[in-house]
Amino acid sequence: MLKYITNRIFLMFITLFLIITLTFFLMHAIPGGPFTSEKMLAPEIEAALNAKYHLNDPVWLQYLNYLKSVASFDLGPSFKYPGIQVNDMIADGLPVTLKIGSLSLLVVVLIGVPMGILAALKKGHWQDSLVMAFATIGIAIPSYVIATILLFVFALKLGWVPTFGLDEWRGYILPVVALSGFYLSYVARLTRSSMLDVLDQDFMKTAKAKGLSPYKILIHHGLRNALIPIVTVLGPVVANLLTGSFIIEQIFALPGIGRHFVLSISNRDYTTIMGITIFYACFLMLMIFIVDMLYLIIDPRIKLSGKKS
Amino acid sequence: MSYIPDNVANDNQKPQKIKSYWQEVKSRLWHNRPAMLSLSFIILLIISAIIGPFITRHTYYDQNLKLSNIAPYFEVYEAKTANQEPTYFFMNQGNFKLYEVSKNGELKDILRAKRRDMINKKNIYQFGETQVILNYSSLPVQLQDAEENPLQSIGTWWNKTYLFGTDSLGRDILVRLLYGARISLTVAFVATFVNFFIGIFYGGISGYLGGMTDAIMMRIVEIISTIPLTLYVILIMVVLESGLLAIIIAIGSVFWVDMARIVRGQVLSLKTLDYVASAETMGANMWQILIGHLLPNAMGPILVTMTLLIPSAIFIESFMSFIGLGVSVPMASWGTLTAEAVETLRSYPYQLFFPATAISLTMFAFNFLGDGLRDAMDPKLNNDN
Repeated sequence: MLKYITNRIFLMFITLFLIITLTFFLMHAIPGGPFTSEKMLAPEIEAALNAKYHLNDPVWLQYLNYLKSVASFDLGPSFKYPGIQVNDMIADGLPVTLKIGSLSLLVVVLIGVPMGILAALKKGHWQDSLVMAFATIGIAIPSYVIATILLFVFALKLGWVPTFGLDEWRGYILPVVALSGFYLSYVARLTRSSMLDVLDQDFMKTAKAKGLSPYKILIHHGLRNALIPIVTVLGPVVANLLTGSFIIEQIFALPGIGRHFVLSISNRDYTTIMGITIFYACFLMLMIFIVDMLYLIIDPRIKLSGKKS
Repeated sequence: MSYIPDNVANDNQKPQKIKSYWQEVKSRLWHNRPAMLSLSFIILLIISAIIGPFITRHTYYDQNLKLSNIAPYFEVYEAKTANQEPTYFFMNQGNFKLYEVSKNGELKDILRAKRRDMINKKNIYQFGETQVILNYSSLPVQLQDAEENPLQSIGTWWNKTYLFGTDSLGRDILVRLLYGARISLTVAFVATFVNFFIGIFYGGISGYLGGMTDAIMMRIVEIISTIPLTLYVILIMVVLESGLLAIIIAIGSVFWVDMARIVRGQVLSLKTLDYVASAETMGANMWQILIGHLLPNAMGPILVTMTLLIPSAIFIESFMSFIGLGVSVPMASWGTLTAEAVETLRSYPYQLFFPATAISLTMFAFNFLGDGLRDAMDPKLNNDN
């Protein structure tokens, strides 16, 4: 176990290092400096700016300095907003993104899984068709289309919810629905198919033959086994939900990290792009790691050596 | 995973069975109505994307600001004049301007008001001796005759000049949609191509060689798949000038990862089978075994994965274009069309309807086709993986 964990952590560091390197050199491959795109700066000012941000140093020195500062959790200053650190931007946007993300996660798990179970138990009935129709819609229609349609119908036409902002609880409804739609459908479909697999198994028949109550059979024998594949995909799902969708934050004008990211792209704010990319990558890896660990705990049959093959 | 070995086992007993397996797949797919419907939709989409732009009168970049934001259908009114043909016109519900249409529904031109009575909030239009008043003093805005009685519409007509209406710059939405379809299909084609050549061979080589090579190759895949695909694509798009080429490079460079994993898994389980060992004894080299034996037998999951990866490639492109990193103006993609429509959503919802429907239908079609293909290849298997 310990060996597996240290192995994983080691791999995570290598991945992170590669990501930092990749983003750093990608950003430096962009033609022109970060200040050249602005309206004609006086050459002295540009030189002063370059000197201030050490852009005149050789690239390898900049790279080493960047590595050093990232290692001390400092993502550097923003190029476009003087005096603002990338760290501050992330700290500023993270709570919003996390709030929306964790609510969406709750929706996905608390609605998606029961929906899938219902569909599996009522296979071939109208409940199944309804869930599957819903799930297909959720997977096929892009989130930005869902978000705009929701916004149009519920905020503009009916006026039930505000069009932007999170000042009241109703402001959360549309972003959460739009963000969780895809993963809700995905999890519902996955639960249905894995539940159907489990319902077919011999141990379910044994449990029935033993005379256990249907409820007990479903929860203890059915669900517990059916949940394993769901937990496996939950890692990426959690990560994707919590890092939020750029689109959802953009459409609903939520001041989360995704919005900072999209803004920094259109502003060509290179340090912010790099910083947020690295932050995202860290966060994702951490989430996947945690879920993988949970997975090992939940299903004692999985041996670490077996997992590697 | 289970069905390929089944098929192979059958193959060993009765050599002619392999043909009938594909025939069976074909017939099962043929009887799957949603899948066949999706396939016809995709074929139709491809045909119209290729030839559509050639047979329309409009181009994707021609602007006609006089005829901007015209809906695909409108309520037509008639103004009778004594000696001449009646004039047909309609009011644009979004900007309250009047436009003249010919009798068969062709758009003619915007109508100029004879007099604008700003104080009483009325615009007066003159058709021969008939007067029409556009009264905007109270909502909803009304068209009235000279005695201020509301005009009766003579019916709802389809816009024959611009079947899907025009956007805020007066460009034909239909032809822009067709160009968008071209872009989406190009992206789908690139994704398929990359999956086929990089994904399959990467996974195949990794699985076949095993050992240290496999470990290193799979670590690389793991590292690539740690960052979400969109993040990569965005990074690459930032470095390259945004445009179709950048999207293609971005999607092409990382989109083969899932396929590589699946093929590797297939090859790992297939390579222990006897026919591989016998091929090896006969002196076949790695490429012969991979191309001649392993990959054809893994074709089922490869095809299914492919049909399910295509919609996600299309989605990524439209998503990128939606946030402004995709194709550059005046080129149209379904994502940019949606983004443009969002800005005018309140007044002209039809502008959102068409691109949103186009992308959703395409996603549906590829998903149904993938599902149908999977069911056809193994009716028992209804897993999501």
